[in-house]
Amino acid sequence: MLKNIRLIGAVFLTAIAMIACKEDFPVDEDGLLITSRTQCYVSNFELLGSDFQTVRTKNAVVDTVALTVDVEVFYGTDLKSLRPQFSLVTDAKLEPKITGKVDFSDLENPKKYTVISGNRQVKKTYTVKITVQKP
Amino acid sequence: MKHSYLFGLIMMLSVTFVMTACDDDDGLTVTPKNELQNDVIKRTLGPNMVGLNIEFAYAMAIPKSLGKLVSAQVEASIGGAEGTYLDNKSYYTNGSGQDVGIEVGSASVTSGAKTTVTFTKDTIAATLRYFYRIPNAARGQEVTFKFSANASNGQTVTYSMGPYKIAQMDMVLDLDVKDSTAAYISIADMAVYGSADAAAKADKIDLVYLYRSIPNITFNHALVAPSNKEYLPGVKLPAGVNRSAKINKVWALRDQQLARLQFGVFIDDPDFQQLSITDAPDFAINMRAEAGAWVETADGKYRAYIYMNSINNTTKSAKISIKRYTLK
Repeated sequence: MLKNIRLIGAVFLTAIAMIACKEDFPVDEDGLLITSRTQCYVSNFELLGSDFQTVRTKNAVVDTVALTVDVEVFYGTDLKSLRPQFSLVTDAKLEPKITGKVDFSDLENPKKYTVISGNRQVKKTYTVKITVQKP
Repeated sequence: MKHSYLFGLIMMLSVTFVMTACDDDDGLTVTPKNELQNDVIKRTLGPNMVGLNIEFAYAMAIPKSLGKLVSAQVEASIGGAEGTYLDNKSYYTNGSGQDVGIEVGSASVTSGAKTTVTFTKDTIAATLRYFYRIPNAARGQEVTFKFSANASNGQTVTYSMGPYKIAQMDMVLDLDVKDSTAAYISIADMAVYGSADAAAKADKIDLVYLYRSIPNITFNHALVAPSNKEYLPGVKLPAGVNRSAKINKVWALRDQQLARLQFGVFIDDPDFQQLSITDAPDFAINMRAEAGAWVETADGKYRAYIYMNSINNTTKSAKISIKRYTLK
């Protein structure tokens, strides 16, 4: 009888040890934490040239209702190699990812970027409209 | 029985203590060598460019009891260009931080690749500076140096330095460009031409410098390939000047040899070899002072870095310096 109690005790302890440290942190396919936040917007936008200096003539206008980013760039900006930078609300992420230079030269078909909220349920697609300063 | 073990143990411990106790060599005390000695440091940094100096400081000394210094010489594996010399002064730094030279020998004599200073003063220790003017013959090759000193007791010491790689690049400093009068830049010649000369050398003109002050936009100082008419407002190109080029604007790349500022940044051969600007445009406007641009000529023969040393909006001019690499 005593032997059985010892055995049961050992099994219990092992089971507890095996499950005790497992906490559930959900992550998405990029290894980023999925949270409960539902906010989904762009808070700021920056555009750098090939020399890593800004090409904006003034602050970009982000419209979170119309889902547009309007930015005017200097005359003589090389639109083929620009480096966009999005500031997003906490826990949100951007799709497609920006990995380096982006070609914005096709002004007729503006680039689109999708913001995905912290809970990964809300998606909003922003259109980046670029206008070049004219003399 | 018990006591004999104890006795043995004590004996062994004592022997161990005796063997380790007196070892007081702290590794800090140096026994001076009683002979002629020498040492060399290289003083210049950055890529070794043809036409510039490589500077060394060559130190030698002999104990007074053994004699004095007779001569010092340096032999380069490739003879230096005119202007190569071994300084006949030994320097010390005074309280204000100035290097003060004291003449210790006759002016150096160069024969072939060997430069010699013969001591004229009674000298037992000296540090002589060696300036090797890199000759065109050494371009792309490696140079080694053999420093040696002779003493009056017949002793000779030598010290080898190198090999040092000599860069392929060319460099030209402080070219004056001016809107319309000296505006045509040739990477092949590393020179700036006026419109009459540019017409004669039309196949060598890669860039046009211009300054424009246009309302509502920032144009200012620009480097534009002759092929791009949109960014050459009001420029009447000389006949035949129509080449293209790739131009990639860079900010805050202040190569020390071009800028001669406090920044320890150097552009070397590998930077040109690895440069990839195939998607770059053929113009760069709003060039500011201390900015620069990578350039690749249309025929793919040259890659260059053009640095803006200074700009002047009033006189519509700028001072530029160029490093150029010839592609094989």
